[in-house]
Amino acid sequence: MNIYVCVGSSCHLKGSYDVIQLMKQELATNHLEDKVNLSAAFCLGKCKDGVSVKINDEIICGVSKDNFYEFFEKHVLSHFS
Amino acid sequence: MNNLCTDVGYLSVNKYGEQLCGDHVEIVEQDENSLVMVLADGLGSGVKASILSTLTSKIISTMLANQMSIEDCVTTVASTLPVCEKRGIAYSTFTILHIVDNKTAEVIQYDNPHVIFLHNGTSCEYSKINMTIGDKSIYKSRIELSPGDILVAMSDGAIYAGVGKALNFGWQRQNIIEFLEAVYDKSYSAKMISNILMEQCCELYENLPGDDTTVAAIKIRKREPVNLLIGPPSNPADVKKMMTLFFAKEGKHIVCGGTTSTLAAKYLGKEIYTELDYVDPEIPPISKIEGVELVTEGIITINRVLSYAKNYVTDNTCNTEWNLQKDGASLIAKLLFEEATDINFYVGRAINPAHQNPELPINFSIKMRLIDELAECLKNMGKKVKVSYF
Repeated sequence: MNIYVCVGSSCHLKGSYDVIQLMKQELATNHLEDKVNLSAAFCLGKCKDGVSVKINDEIICGVSKDNFYEFFEKHVLSHFS
Repeated sequence: MNNLCTDVGYLSVNKYGEQLCGDHVEIVEQDENSLVMVLADGLGSGVKASILSTLTSKIISTMLANQMSIEDCVTTVASTLPVCEKRGIAYSTFTILHIVDNKTAEVIQYDNPHVIFLHNGTSCEYSKINMTIGDKSIYKSRIELSPGDILVAMSDGAIYAGVGKALNFGWQRQNIIEFLEAVYDKSYSAKMISNILMEQCCELYENLPGDDTTVAAIKIRKREPVNLLIGPPSNPADVKKMMTLFFAKEGKHIVCGGTTSTLAAKYLGKEIYTELDYVDPEIPPISKIEGVELVTEGIITINRVLSYAKNYVTDNTCNTEWNLQKDGASLIAKLLFEEATDINFYVGRAINPAHQNPELPINFSIKMRLIDELAECLKNMGKKVKVSYF
């Protein structure tokens, strides 16, 4: 699985840094580091509704540290259960 | 025009307790490749000294830049300066550095500590011819310069540093030479050299300078153009034109902005690879595109660069920060402030609708103002700056 977190200006201001830290932490807790390729993306073109995260070919908008766990469960963990 | 240029940097501190500096540095550019720099130190300190040194340096630099002889300049200064009531003399010492075609230095010195000439980081002696104009004994020299050569002029405040404090007799010109040779690094700009020397002087003075102190450095260097692209063009049809002009430019290329770098990568037909790790949590990580020296995020990064630039042209206290860190803003700062001599900005005026959100501190007018202010700071550093809008 490939995950890209947008670090463009808008997404950065809306909290890309926190999302990346949480993502690294959760991938480690769930022992998914080998199965998931985490990278940054420069601009996914969805600046209005950041933070944008691209999982394989799907873009999920509006991720933040508040709804992160819900997002992680739904879009990441579900693939591996 | 040859491919050389003269980098100038100077710095003064006032005698402790004085509001005005009695030293003055004046620079007149004759043309692209020639300039006159005069460092004058007025008698005494405060207002009187300030007037004497300002008049002296203004008169000499203006006259010399207009091809008048040094005899005429000195006579004019002597008969123009107001005479000090207390001492009955009109007096200001001076050092003149006249750089011709970025290749030759004509050095004229009157009573200031003698100019230090560094070639490959080592001090070299140069011959001086003594001449007498009026009652003044003046030294004249001619030095052939090659790229990397440095000339350092100073007022006597520099050699008095530490008298009666850290050192008994101050540090002499010879000590300053040893210090400059020890700290020498070929990447340093003229501004950086004068900064380092001044810091040392202030330390010896224990931050209570006993005299106005001025250090001025000149460095001959190769022209180093750097081009910076930020923002997509307001008309999407102009992308190709903008990219073609930008990438055709000689020198290093910096691309700023997420959308902008995506467009640049597409134009070059290369992949864009973004780093995941934040070196500084406040500055978005940098990216890589083959064929581009540096790819960063746009407005947040440039905002940080601007604050570094403002600091650089004033007291330059942040230089260790951007000199050592590896985040996007520090990397841009290093390229623009230290390496570049000619900077071309390619600014796209497209409005990113997402940035117009009142909750975000990054709307369009802020972005345009950032670029204007940054260009202004860079001009103050003595860079040739050109801004093109698309």
